[in-house]
Amino acid sequence: MIKLGKKNNWTAYLYIAPLMIFSFVLVYYCIIRTVVVSFTDWDGMSDVFQFIGLKNYRKMLADPVFWKSVTNNIIFFFGTVFVQAFLGFMLAVLLKKKLPGSNMFKVIYFMPIAMATSIITAIFKIIMDPTNGILNQSLRAIHLDGLAKSWLGDPKIALFSVIVVNIFQWMGFSMITYYAGLMSLPDDVYEAAKIDGAGFIKTTWLVTFPMLKGTTNVLLILGIVGSLKTFDLVKLLTAGGPGRTTTVMNTYLYEKAFNDFNAGGAASIGVAILIIAMIMSFLQIKLGKED
Amino acid sequence: MKKKMKSVVPTYAVLVLFALIWILPLIVAFVKSFTIDGFGNYAYVLSYEKINYFKVVFNSVFIAAISAASVTVITALAAFAFSKMKFAGSKIIYGAILACLAVPVAAVTTPLFVTIKNLGLLDSKFGVIIPLIAFNAPMMLLMLKNYFDTIPNELLESTRIDGASSFRIWYEFMLPLSIPMIANVLVLTFIYSWNDYLIPLLVIRSEENYPVTLAAQYFMSSTYQSPVDVARIYAVMMLLTFPSILVYLFSQKYLVAGAVAGAVKG
Repeated sequence: MIKLGKKNNWTAYLYIAPLMIFSFVLVYYCIIRTVVVSFTDWDGMSDVFQFIGLKNYRKMLADPVFWKSVTNNIIFFFGTVFVQAFLGFMLAVLLKKKLPGSNMFKVIYFMPIAMATSIITAIFKIIMDPTNGILNQSLRAIHLDGLAKSWLGDPKIALFSVIVVNIFQWMGFSMITYYAGLMSLPDDVYEAAKIDGAGFIKTTWLVTFPMLKGTTNVLLILGIVGSLKTFDLVKLLTAGGPGRTTTVMNTYLYEKAFNDFNAGGAASIGVAILIIAMIMSFLQIKLGKED
Repeated sequence: MKKKMKSVVPTYAVLVLFALIWILPLIVAFVKSFTIDGFGNYAYVLSYEKINYFKVVFNSVFIAAISAASVTVITALAAFAFSKMKFAGSKIIYGAILACLAVPVAAVTTPLFVTIKNLGLLDSKFGVIIPLIAFNAPMMLLMLKNYFDTIPNELLESTRIDGASSFRIWYEFMLPLSIPMIANVLVLTFIYSWNDYLIPLLVIRSEENYPVTLAAQYFMSSTYQSPVDVARIYAVMMLLTFPSILVYLFSQKYLVAGAVAGAVKG
């Protein structure tokens, strides 16, 4: 603390004022409005609406599409986070050897994060096109016609395809986070393991990985947060289809708000997302401190 | 030497394999963007009347640069107060801001849309910039505050004795000592703002205000059945992603440094 001889440093409020004005006020205003609207039958446009108590929530909890979207968010989270953590950890360990060219690999793995989802989905949508897409054309060319699927149109695999694209975009984040974690580990741990005669894979799995437990926890929380934030990926790849097989909470909310003009119903989903998001925020901060 | 070779080969094999998988979609897009009409595909996009490529890139640069600069300045100021000053309510206010860390814009779309409309900012770039600042700031505040916490107070105390004002301490000592994290926050906010799709989707109406994310989907929503359409769409994607990849290549070292700096603190 910089002591100014006083307990309460009033200038501090000047330092936080811009953040309060440009972030805090707008974010909390939106959150409070969402909570209020969730108790009304507002259509999102007109000036008239009525308070209808918990009706939106009752409807939401009885709505199979809502539960489908929650399930999809959960599948999306599990499908993404473990593959990403595994790949990210493995590549980080290999990159930490700092062989010539390591930096180039790092740049490549992280690059999709610098590309807009809007553009990545466009590229993958064409690649995954059932007839003209290069993926199926290549599979047919090597006589694996059976593997050529309607990647985004088949209800059984559409969610899987969406998850694959998400892993493609965000794996680099897990990689960088693990890499950063590895850099902070003391070298003598490896030396000790080496003297014990443990092999590389054994050392990595039994010594390195447990030491990065904090990093893994943070990535799990960020995975849940990422799943909760998922919107454009699904909207642009499948628009939630075919049927409801890839609908997630955010796309369902958007649909309710802007296609069905049911702002009240959309807000009740929003409140459900907000509650989970706020719990995740606290877990993220807490785990970040323990790391 | 022999033993070293033994471990180097499988390492490279795995690294190269994944690099190929990760670069392949881009290579496909790049190669396909030259099919049928060659550079003609690019000429077609660049001379497209309704969506002006240079205007679109300008819009995105404008939005991302102002958002990134604003977020960096306001979070660096606030993080300084939260990290190094004592004031009533600091813990509660900090906690309340961080509670929004994981709040997705998508969860509050209708109120956000109405607010932007009431502010008279519909279909304007500032209607996009303001929500981008608001929703990106909490995460960046956390990163900067954690980093500021690692800078020893004694270092700043000594400047205090010289009679430096708190603002001078902030910009003459705090900022220079935190360059890796400041750069990281700047670059990350720039990339996140550049890539955002939902906020422009809510706010922007006319094509002249389109950022790259909306422009990309404008071309996607037209048909892409014939091979020449596919080639042109890939040319669009290459042109639209080029600036952000360029920014990324020039700034990637800050992203790694920032991640490492964050992890060391934990």
